[in-house]
Formats: sequence, C-alpha cells, structure tokens
Amino acid sequence: MKNTERKDLFPGALEMMVLQTLSGQPLHGYALVQHIQRNSNDLLQVEEGSLYPALQRMLKSGLVKADWGVSSTGRRVRIYEISEAGAKHLAQEVRSFERMLEGIRLVLSPVKP
Amino acid sequence: MNWIQQLFSRRQLDRDLAEEIRQHMEEKVEELMAGGLPRKDAELAARRAFGNPASLEEQGRDVWRWAAVEDFLTDVRFALRQLRKSPSFTLACILTLALGIGANTVVFSVVNAVVLRPLPFAQPERLAVVGAIDARRPEEISDFSYPNFFDLRKDNTVFEHLVSFRSTDATLTGSSRPVHVRAQIVSWDLFPLLGIQPALGRGFVRQEEESGQRAVVLSHEVWRDEFGGDPGIVGRSVTVDSQPHTVVGIAPRDFAFPPGDRTVGVWLTLGRDADSSTITPITKQRGARLLSALARLKPGVSMRQARAQLDVVAASLARAYPDSNKNMAKTQVLPAASALAGEAKGPLFLLLGAVGLVLLIACANIANLLLSRTAERSREFALRAAIGAGQGRIVRQLITESLTLSVIGCGLGIAAAMWTAQFLLPLVGDAVPRIQETSIDGRVLGFSVALAILTTVLFGLAPAIRVAKSDFQAGLREGGRSVTDNSDGLRGALCVGQIALGLVLLSAASLLIASFVQLLRRDLGLQPERVLSFSVDLPGKAYPKPRQLSFHSELLDRLASLPGVEAAALAMPLPLTGSQMHIAFNIQERPARPSERPSSDMALVTPGYFKTIGAPLLQGRGFTERDDDSAPPVLVVNRAFADRFFPGEDAVGKWIQPGASTGPGDPKMRQIIGIVGNARQSMLKAAADPIYYFPYKQLPWCCASVVVRSAAAPGLLEPEIRRTVSALDKQLPVFDVVTLDTILTKGFAQARVPVYLLGGFAGIALLLTVVGLYGVLAYSVVRRTREFGVRIALGASRHEVLGLVLRRATRLVLTGIVLGLAGALAVGRLISQLLIGVSSTSPLLLTAACVVLALTAASAAYFPARRAASIDPVRALRAE
Repeated sequence: MKNTERKDLFPGALEMMVLQTLSGQPLHGYALVQHIQRNSNDLLQVEEGSLYPALQRMLKSGLVKADWGVSSTGRRVRIYEISEAGAKHLAQEVRSFERMLEGIRLVLSPVKP
Repeated sequence: MNWIQQLFSRRQLDRDLAEEIRQHMEEKVEELMAGGLPRKDAELAARRAFGNPASLEEQGRDVWRWAAVEDFLTDVRFALRQLRKSPSFTLACILTLALGIGANTVVFSVVNAVVLRPLPFAQPERLAVVGAIDARRPEEISDFSYPNFFDLRKDNTVFEHLVSFRSTDATLTGSSRPVHVRAQIVSWDLFPLLGIQPALGRGFVRQEEESGQRAVVLSHEVWRDEFGGDPGIVGRSVTVDSQPHTVVGIAPRDFAFPPGDRTVGVWLTLGRDADSSTITPITKQRGARLLSALARLKPGVSMRQARAQLDVVAASLARAYPDSNKNMAKTQVLPAASALAGEAKGPLFLLLGAVGLVLLIACANIANLLLSRTAERSREFALRAAIGAGQGRIVRQLITESLTLSVIGCGLGIAAAMWTAQFLLPLVGDAVPRIQETSIDGRVLGFSVALAILTTVLFGLAPAIRVAKSDFQAGLREGGRSVTDNSDGLRGALCVGQIALGLVLLSAASLLIASFVQLLRRDLGLQPERVLSFSVDLPGKAYPKPRQLSFHSELLDRLASLPGVEAAALAMPLPLTGSQMHIAFNIQERPARPSERPSSDMALVTPGYFKTIGAPLLQGRGFTERDDDSAPPVLVVNRAFADRFFPGEDAVGKWIQPGASTGPGDPKMRQIIGIVGNARQSMLKAAADPIYYFPYKQLPWCCASVVVRSAAAPGLLEPEIRRTVSALDKQLPVFDVVTLDTILTKGFAQARVPVYLLGGFAGIALLLTVVGLYGVLAYSVVRRTREFGVRIALGASRHEVLGLVLRRATRLVLTGIVLGLAGALAVGRLISQLLIGVSSTSPLLLTAACVVLALTAASAAYFPARRAASIDPVRALRAE
C-alpha cells in the first residue's frame, strides 16, 4: 500500500485504543472502527487489515471475549467485550503510555537556558 | 482457552473470522452506498480498505497457530515421508527399536511390580520389615521369638506399630464341608498398622492376644466361597481346627497379607499360640524363633534410626538372656516393599542391566544405519542449505526423524511387552512375590517414553554431529556422490562399543548358564519321579498326640496296601521345598554352652521315608516301627551332617542332644544309628545342608506331609488317596497334592526363567553386534569401490584387497574384545553372588565367549571382504 499516513502509531497503540473503547461498551468490529475514527475526530483511522489480527491476538491472550450476536441493523456480528484481564492490561498500558508521553514531552520541551 | 482446545477448535475459529470479515465488508458497503456511492464502487472501496481478505484470514490464523508444535508436526510429516521412501531401512530401525524397548519394558514392568511399586497400604514408605540378625548367619534375616518380639514391641519408641506374623495351615469348618486354608497368626494391631479397614466388622483388639481368646478375620474369598457372602457371619462362631472362633471381620476384597500372598484365607490372633499345646507355650519360649515382623515407623523416623534403637534393645536382651540371645544382638530394618522382594531382586536387576545393554547395542546399530543414510542424503542437505535452511534447522529435522523412529518403535515395543508379559508370567508362577501383579502402569509407560527419548539422543546424535560438522557446499559441488564421508571413525567407534557390550553380555550369560547347568547336574540325593505328596491337617483338639500317631499308622498302612503303591511315609518338612527347621544340638563328647552349640536342619520322618523318596542308606540302619517312645531315642543323619560335625570319625554310635522338645523329659540325648545320602532340602543351594532325622513316633510334631511312591504315574493315585483319608475321617480335607517332580520343576522355574532370558538377550546382542559390524564393513566397501578398483587396476592382488578389509575388521573386533573383557570381569564380580559352582572369572568361559564373538564377527566380515576382492576395476572406474 502506498498510503504514507501512519495509522498505527506504535506497537500496542491499536490494542490500547480497542480496549479503551470496549471498556465503554461491547462492540463489533465495524462499530469499533467507526467509534475510534469518530472519537479521534477522524485523526486516527483504524485499518481493517490490522484490526482483525489484533482482535484475534487479544482474543487468544484472553484480553477480550467474543460472542456472536445481532447488531442494531439486524446483522449477525461478533460482539467483543473487555475481560477482567483486559481491563487490567489496559490500565497498565495506559500508565506506561502516559509515562512515555511524559518523557517525550520533556525531551521535546524547549531547552532551558 | 488453552492450546489443546485451540488446536481442536481452530477450524471453527477460522470460520468465525471469515464470517466476521464478510459481515464487516457488507456493513461498510451498505454505509458507503447510503452515502450515495453505487454498489460497485462501494464494494471496491471496501475491499481496498481491507487489503487482501485471504491474507487477512491468514494473519488471523497465524495468531492462533501454536508455532513450535506445528513446525514440529510438519517436520514429522516430512520425516514420515522420508522414512516411507526407504522402507527396508525404516523397518530395520523400527524392529530393532521395538525389540530393544519392548524387552526393556517387560523387564522394567516386572521390577516395578516386585520391587518399586509401593505396597497397597496407607503411607507405604513408612512400612518396614524388621528382623533379627544371627551373628552366625549374618547374611540372612532371622526370625524373632515371641518373648523377644514382645520386648522389642514394648521397649521401642520408633514404631507406631510392630506386628508379628507367622503362617500356618488350618482346617475351617462351619459351612457345609471342611476346607483347608492357609492362615496367618498375627499380633493384634495388623489392620491399624496397614491402615486398612476390614470390609465388614473390625480388626483384632489387644485382648484377643491373650490365652483363651479365639478371633478370626476371614478373607473376602473364603467369606464368599464358604459362607455365601453372608454379612450376618460377623459375630458368629466358626470352627477353625476343631475350636470355635468368633468371626470379628471380613478383609477387603483384594487384601493380601503378607503382601502379595493371596493364598491366605484366615487371619488368627496369637491367642492360639499362647495356648499351644507344649509344656511351655511358644509365646513364652525365647529360643523358638518363628516370627516375621512388619513395622510402621513413626513419622520422621528413618529406617536407620529405627534400627539403631532396636539394636540397643536387642543388645540388652542378649545380655539378659545369653542362652537364647547371645548371637542375636543385632537387628535389621528394611523398607518393606524392597525387603519383601528379597532374593528376587538380584536376578531382576541383573536382567534390567542386561536388557539395557541390548538396547545400547541396538542404538549403536541404528546410529550406524542413520550415519550411512545421512551420507547418502548429503546432496539433499546441500540443496536444502542452498535454499536457505540453516544447519540448525537441518539438525532439527534429523532429530525429528530419529524421534519419529523412536516413537513408532516405542509404541510397538510397549505393545510387544504387553503381549510378552502375558505368556511369560505364568512361567514364573508365584515363586517371586507380587510378580503376578506385573502390569504396564504409568511408571512403566514413563520409563518406556524416557527410553524412547534417550534412544533418540543416543542414535540421533551421531548423524546430527556429522551434519553439523559437514560442509554442504562441497557436497553440492561434487555432485554428492563421491562426497568425502568423514564419519568412518565414528562408525568404527560405535562398532567397537557394540562388540565390547556384546562380550559383556555374552560372558555374563555364559556364567549364569554354566551355573544353571551345575544346578541341574547336581545330585539331588533322591529320586523324585513317581513320588506324590499331600497333606492332611489333624486338628489338635480332636486329635491329641496318641490319636494322631494311630491315625497316621492306619493311614500309612492303608496307603501301602493300595494297588500301585510301593511305599508311603510321613515327612516334615518335605524335601526339595526349601523349607527348613534349624535346631541347635549338643554333642556328648564335646559339650558346649547353649550359645556356642552347633546347629543343623532337622526333619521328622517315619520308617519308610528313605525308601519312599529313594535316598540311599550309607551306613548303620534306618528307622523301624520299633523306634517309638518306649525305645531308646535315636537319630539318622545325612552324609553332610556326619562330614561337618564328625569329620574323620565314625558318626554312627555317637550321642547328641538336639534342642527339640515336645514333652516332659525333653530334650533327650539321642544316638546316631545310621547315615543316609544327602537328600536335598533346598534344590537351589550350592551345597547340601546337614540334616538330622528324628523318628516320627519319638517326636510327633504337627503338620507332617505324606509321601507316596507309586509304581505308575503318581497323579493317578489322587482319587484313591482322597477316598482312603475320607474313609478314616470325613472331616479331614486333603490338600497340597503335588508330585515331587512338580515341586522340582517349579523350583527350577525360578532359576530357569532369568537364565533363559539372559541367554536370549545375549543372543540378540550377538546378532545385533554382528549385523552392526557387517553394516559398517559393507558400507565402507561400497564407498571405497573406486579406490579398490584403482588398487586392483594398479596391480594389487585380490588377497591384498581382502586383507585390507579384514584387517580393519580385526582391528575393530580386537579393540572391542579388549574393552569388553574389562567390562566382563567387572560384571562377573557383580553377579558372583548369583553363581553356583562357577567362578566369576572362569578363564574357560571368558575364552569361550571371546571365541564365539570372534567367530561370528569373522563370518560377518567375510562377505564384505570378498565383495571388495571381487571388484571389477573396469566397471568400478567406468561407474564414476
């Protein structure tokens, strides 16, 4: 793909956002994409191509649970829900992300005389 | 979700993912269409956003893959394909392995059942066999007497329970017919000691050890067979040996005590022994040693600590009662399971060692085969290396191939083991305790699997090393055909190792076989053919001494008058059974203090005994009917007795005073009136033991067996015998009807089975070794075809080429034999205790083993050598 725009910011970012979103409410894949896109004011676009492998990974390591259900539009969809382990993982990720952000900000801040 | 579930539910997961992606795309398309796009464009856009759905699904699948396992499975599939391509190689490897692992599994399963498997009681690791050590015979465990047992039980602080037991025979009446049962007389706390609850009722209580108490626990079988499994029997009275006994409990189904002995039908308390009908009951005789003992150690007490404390008690008893205990100042405390295996342990571990060696030799063979194959496949490896496989990957593939071979071989081996055990076990009979409980349990399976892994390492290592060291590019450049094979040294070393191990096995087997032949060739001192023996137990209460004597005279008279009966007599104990009664005596000419007196085995017999069993009278006279209580006390001794205690003298006419007593006035001074040949009491011992024979009428103890010599096949007499006994007394069961030949066969079976097995293992080892040597030489001839062709073309004679190959073979065999001799001597020393009449360093046998090995090796070397010599130089060179 020639798209130069980086959508996945750093390893684990997509996971974190998915978990954060799911901690609000259980959603299916398409709704997840929409939700993230909307909430980031279209700054972030989740590539479907990386969403599903990510979801499978999280499913495998037990961060999320999935069950077949019916969406509001009457479609048969797989609805993801955050698990207890997922919530714990999210909190941890957020903490370390914030530390990283803090570090980046310190480095990027104007050099003091 | 664990990975096992994942492996199985993967297909479902894949389907779910595909479905999910499809729904997602449709949803997206619908939304785009709702935004005004035509369907076609919407679908295209959706697909663009997604990328390739197939690769997406692939990625999703990858997430679920258990990479290591699946790579491994791929390797296994590849290995199976490779193996299918060369079926003869594969078959050879798998059969060799199945043989090696199967044989190991069989032997180990027996060792497991007999020695390793814990006893089926609570916390079996705290159970110990406790015995006395007689300073005069320190190599074996001796029995306790009741007073000594009581003192040990009272004065020790290391045991939770200490239980005595001794076996006896009993007649059980109370149901329809009188039956003979094996009985164990035990001290009261047997069931608490074992941690076993009776299936019904209770175990014994302490008061039931007292004089006058009669309690009995029935085995599940006796309860079922004789009392129809009636639960109401508990609390009721049954008759054991003509005396009423209260049934206090029914043992659980499959309960066996002594461990492994399922023949015991009733357990009685030692209340019986407290009332034994001698002047002094045996519970008060400190010299009457007839008790085995089992103990439960207190938690945290080690066997060694327990023994140390018992030794203190035993030493103080030795000081307090020097007459009976002077030589009994030491004790032994051994883990129960292992101690019960007793003498069977030595041969078992020997077999396990032998069969392990066979497996090693087999592994060497397979390693050699694999090495040759690896050399042949060097082109394949070079190709794989060229297209990017690392050496590690190729080595892994090779090890997977080895493992695949091992697993198949192991599976077949275990199946073969199960099958073999089925027909092997009946051959051994019940000579070895617990052997009939042999089965393939978890531990045995674990052992076999461990063997499979070990063998993989053993034979997989050589080709792996070879591949890891080799230069693949060279292989590819040269076309792979004449690639230098630098594994000749490795092959030769494997071959030398095989020859050495083969020699070790061969010499050990030859020692045991020679020892067994000695055993068979020994003079038994009697003629067992056509002799039948049986027992009739006379209950003491219904048959006081005088009535016993008259019953037996009447029985022997009637038997003797049966048609086809040549002679009949009583004997206690029976010859050849290994059953021994050891009693000290005092020689009139050389009196000694009680603790210093010599001792010998004894036997009680009636006048016709020596004639019946066919033991020759060498000197003096045998017993007659007149040697009864009113006549002077006499003895007959055997040759071994006369030689041991009266060397260089005439034993006939000498007076000795044996410590045996049955009534007032005993023990009497007795005169030796005759010497008989050494009729064997134990057929497995190296030398005949001294025995003195008492005339039965002068010392009528219980439990004598009847021996009958028949003119025809002795088995035909059995119905007549049963009729004769029942005509005398309908209440008396006849039991243990057996010919002396059967006793002999059974006794030898115990010695024969290990000898046959070891011989078989040695044969297999020899075969494998020879096949290995042949393989190495044949391969090297094939590989050196061109070289030999050149040599011949340049004028080397056929003999010189023949010599080249034979010299290499000789070098290998000689090195192997030298190493093997050292091993054979070491192993000989290890097994010297199992040998009878053969020296463990017998030069004759060692030489024979070397010659057999060298000759078979020569025949293995001959064919490759001849092939080398007959190479046609023209064809050999043109073939390049």
